[in-house]
Amino acid sequence: MFAYLVRRLALSLLTLVLITFIVYGLIRSMPGSPLTQDLGSLDPGKVMSEEDFQRVLKTYGLDKPWYESYGIWMKNILSGEFGRSFSRKREVSALIAERLGPTLLLSITSLLLTYLLSIPIGISAAARSGKLDERTVSTVLYILYSFPSFVAALFLQLFLAVRWGWLPLCYMTSDNYSELSWAGKAMDIFWHALMPVICFTYGSLAYYSRFIKSNMNEVVRQDYIRTAKAKGLGPVRVLVLHAFRNTMIPFVTQLGLMLPALFSGAIIIEQIFVWPGMGGLFFDAVRERDYPTIMGLTLMFSVLTLLGQLLADVLYAVADPRVRLENK
Amino acid sequence: MAPSDITAELKHLKKSPGFWKETWSRFRKRKLAVTALLFVILMGLAGLFSPAIVGAKPVVCYYKGHYYFPAMGYYNPTWENPVFNRDKFRKRYPVNLKEKDPNSWAIWPLVYQDPVRRIFENEWPGRAGNPTSEDGIPSWLRKPSEETPSQLLPAINLFGTTSNGIDVFAQMVHGTRSALMIGFVSMGIAGAIGILVGALAGYFGGWVDAVLSRAIEVVMCIPTLVLILALLAIVSRPTIWHMMAVIGATGWTGIARLTRAEFLRLKQSDFVAAAQVLGVSRFRIIFRHILPNALAPVLVPITFGIASAILIESGLRFLSFGPEGPSWGSLLKEGRSNYEMWWLIVFPGLGIFSAVLAYNLIGEGLQEATDPRLRDGGRD
Repeated sequence: MFAYLVRRLALSLLTLVLITFIVYGLIRSMPGSPLTQDLGSLDPGKVMSEEDFQRVLKTYGLDKPWYESYGIWMKNILSGEFGRSFSRKREVSALIAERLGPTLLLSITSLLLTYLLSIPIGISAAARSGKLDERTVSTVLYILYSFPSFVAALFLQLFLAVRWGWLPLCYMTSDNYSELSWAGKAMDIFWHALMPVICFTYGSLAYYSRFIKSNMNEVVRQDYIRTAKAKGLGPVRVLVLHAFRNTMIPFVTQLGLMLPALFSGAIIIEQIFVWPGMGGLFFDAVRERDYPTIMGLTLMFSVLTLLGQLLADVLYAVADPRVRLENK
Repeated sequence: MAPSDITAELKHLKKSPGFWKETWSRFRKRKLAVTALLFVILMGLAGLFSPAIVGAKPVVCYYKGHYYFPAMGYYNPTWENPVFNRDKFRKRYPVNLKEKDPNSWAIWPLVYQDPVRRIFENEWPGRAGNPTSEDGIPSWLRKPSEETPSQLLPAINLFGTTSNGIDVFAQMVHGTRSALMIGFVSMGIAGAIGILVGALAGYFGGWVDAVLSRAIEVVMCIPTLVLILALLAIVSRPTIWHMMAVIGATGWTGIARLTRAEFLRLKQSDFVAAAQVLGVSRFRIIFRHILPNALAPVLVPITFGIASAILIESGLRFLSFGPEGPSWGSLLKEGRSNYEMWWLIVFPGLGIFSAVLAYNLIGEGLQEATDPRLRDGGRD
């Protein structure tokens, strides 16, 4: 186990270096630089002189070829420095920390909802397989699964916010947020978060319900289920204790793969709801050519993805004693 | 038995159905998947013949003794004969054709509307111009208003118009072309890369596998939209072809992993060993012996990939990160700044949804037709 972990971590480190190197090369070859993007929006009277331009380039470390800058960036990362954002004049780590809360609020709520709802839906769908009510629920779930979340976001806004006026259209807080009491603030965020959470949840809810149902359908054909039924256990006991416990194995490994999605947010959904999350930060960083922020986020996403894959494999071995990590 | 008897007997044996034929016969049994396939074919035809369905240029016209096909200009602006530009048509065909050559005739698209500009009053003789902004509600929902002047027939806008008075139906039909083309071409690229990488990694194993698996992991780790935005930002004016290339270059990892697994499995089989003993070249074994047998399961992630490519395309256009031109995503973008004009969100939204749903259903049908666990009595 230990040797396996060390080998996996070493390989992940190599992958990480490769990813950051490639992304750094990519973003440095985008046309425009953080400076020219700035100049475009400023009034033409403020165009920098050539010496000024070179001086600013130097302070940003952009006067060197990109692979040298990459080396400098790498050195800073190793000493724990993410660097300062060009366009926002702040530490990248502070920027990320600021955006993390709103993103986690949505993603963790939606993860909990997904698990809480999809397990009973999946089990009951497997129990009533082939009956009319199960078919209706399954069809609805399939339609939801295919419904693009950003289209759903627009539909929700159109009906719930604009037509019927039940929910606020966008943003995380109301204008008078700072005047509200503690409970008022919580309720305010709750109302604003409702539509984004629905958009984040329904797709994965549909996916996991189907996932559990199809796994259950496979498990209930096994001999040990027949044994359990034969010795006179009730249907609930058979389904929940005997069958569902075994469908947990693929389900648990999915947890690891969800790790990066928890932190990454969603660019389009956040854009639609003007939610101050990670997706929006990344989108703005790409548009503003804010290299340190893009690199900081890329590093974070890739670390999480690699960790998630490792976690999935380890969880798989923990949940299923037949799996040996060393053999993989 | 003498060897000649055996060959004679072998000739009499009924040939067992090939993998493809078997897959198709299983796929055909699933009504929903076949319906979805028909829907996709229909959508493909609508996209292919979009200039003949809705447009403001004649499909065929006879003008000053020659035949022309101005509607081809919707595919590529240079395919529209410059003679109309020289004769100062200014894109107003119906009136100008009659005016400049009384003997001319033309075959028009089914609906006279344009995907990129507003239709004006009397442009089609006797028909009103397209309404703008909030009057642009779908024409079958418009109330017959008293103020409609004179004898003009009302404009026909099946799905309404945008705030500039451009017909939504025309944009959606022409948008089908780019959505489907991006879906197919980008997944063609992704399929080619994925199958090649997966085949090489799976067949050769060893260090080739180690290097290629690392490459797969690297591309998989970078969030797709992140990679696409970064790659698209490199070209300052992305065209539809850039978009296809970028979506294709990022979407091949799933295909590569599946191909690799199939190759790992198939290279152990007897027919590969037989081919190797016969001295067939590696290239031939990979592409002629193993690949045809590995292809059907690989079609599943490709089909799902087309659905996600269509989603990515509309998402990118929604974020204004794509090229100009009519598309479902850009309609949604306009709808987002005019929530009162619900038809800008509802119709393109349902269009994207039905395309994605159809591809998912086909993918699922294929999965059940090719996966041995699901196909042999696996269904309840």
